[in-house]
Amino acid sequence: MFDAEEFVNEKIEELKGQIPGRAIIACSGGVDSTVAAVMVSRAIGDKLLTIYVNNGFMRKGETEDVDLMFGRLGINYKLVDASDEFFNAMKGVTEPEAKRKIIGERFIRVFEREAKAYHAEYLVQGTIAPDWIESGDGVRDTIKSHHNVGGLPKDMDLTVVEPLRDLYKDEVRIVARYLGIEVSERQPFPGPALAIRVIGEATREAVEVVREACAIVEEELEKASKQKRMERPWQYFAVLLPCQSVGVQGDRRAYGRTIAVRSVESIDGMSAAYSKVPYEVLERISFRITSEMKANVNRVVYDITNKPPATIEWE
Amino acid sequence: MKVYVIDNGGQWTHREWRVLKYLKVDTKIVPNNTPFEEMKDVDALVLSGGSPSIASEAGRMGLNGEYLDKADFPILGICAGMQFTSTHFGGTMGPALRPEYGKATLHVEKDGDLFDGLPREFTVWESHNDEVKDLPDEFEILAHSENCRIEAIRHRTRPIYGLQFHPEVENTEHGYDIFKNFLKVVERRKS
Repeated sequence: MFDAEEFVNEKIEELKGQIPGRAIIACSGGVDSTVAAVMVSRAIGDKLLTIYVNNGFMRKGETEDVDLMFGRLGINYKLVDASDEFFNAMKGVTEPEAKRKIIGERFIRVFEREAKAYHAEYLVQGTIAPDWIESGDGVRDTIKSHHNVGGLPKDMDLTVVEPLRDLYKDEVRIVARYLGIEVSERQPFPGPALAIRVIGEATREAVEVVREACAIVEEELEKASKQKRMERPWQYFAVLLPCQSVGVQGDRRAYGRTIAVRSVESIDGMSAAYSKVPYEVLERISFRITSEMKANVNRVVYDITNKPPATIEWE
Repeated sequence: MKVYVIDNGGQWTHREWRVLKYLKVDTKIVPNNTPFEEMKDVDALVLSGGSPSIASEAGRMGLNGEYLDKADFPILGICAGMQFTSTHFGGTMGPALRPEYGKATLHVEKDGDLFDGLPREFTVWESHNDEVKDLPDEFEILAHSENCRIEAIRHRTRPIYGLQFHPEVENTEHGYDIFKNFLKVVERRKS
């Protein structure tokens, strides 16, 4: 079916020719960009600098975990905190495509600065097939602009290299296992991160709410799968909805926000079925969100839509 | 065996390429305006699905019609590829009364090569707003679903097939088997 050894050997040879000078790689610590970082670092060694950007929309504890993981990988890396820059750019922005494009451009501006400082002309990205397919092109409709493809500004001065362009997530995982990369089984997490899990404007406050809710969803579903009460889903998270509803909390009227829980099964992200999570597990998630986050959220709903017609993320 | 995928702009065009690649076929995705003469050495073509309404808008299906006219090898049209195939031979298409997205149950009426050895009922994945309304006489219906009467077709005398659902999608059951059955047709004609 898919031969990881053959793929890695061929790509490393190709990359040596493709990148004659220095390069930086945009790496979130997820499976795609980490695989790309390891492959390119095998191809060009110390001429590669791995850059992780904290855009302010990362999950709970994520930046610290990525820092440790890069350290263990023994690659040349740098963490950049650009959260102020990203939050400022998102002020007043609510339209999903606008959000994705602004984030895509911000990333590139950060990478341009870092590339200049490192004297690099090449930008490596962990782009995989669904990223360019869904971003659209001459013949294909744009479903959503992935930040690393449809979100790239026209006036960028870096040459983009994308060694994983023709692979899907399941194939990237096979390569990751072959390379012994510890994040091989990590769930997908989109580049625009929590900014697209807040429907409406991604303010610091709203991102904080969805960050907490995402952490609870991850903890509970991972616990349930460890206890063999269910298979660990392909992707699972919370979305903060821009609608309020009436509730009653301790005999007091509440008028709080709504969290949608999303969990899907997929192989490649191009089609997906919603997860049949046991009711008890959903109930536990609902209970934890509404009690631990009671000042913010008084209602939790579960998304029962497949892809198509929905997409996995809400934006 | 060489089978090219004609790119009509579908979300799953690249998946068709991947399935063929996994089945050890020499394959490539090519634009739908690729001259037929440049593909003389292929053993078959897959006409991919397309962007919304592409099959009914003049010009957007490129040279798909020419391929259907000139090919003496098998052709499999998927989604918009099948819709275009039926209109090209004189059938009609239009907006579906009930569009299908995601999961549906396929009811197989006739093997028609593609469903050889497969169950009479299984889950398939769909994504279409339009559907074939009237099938030209040269074609026969092989399968239907709850909301769509024409889910699979076959030309009565030429090796031309069409599927409204998407066998290339992971969630579709027996998707690989359907491709393998199509490749068996290709193999038979080669030898």
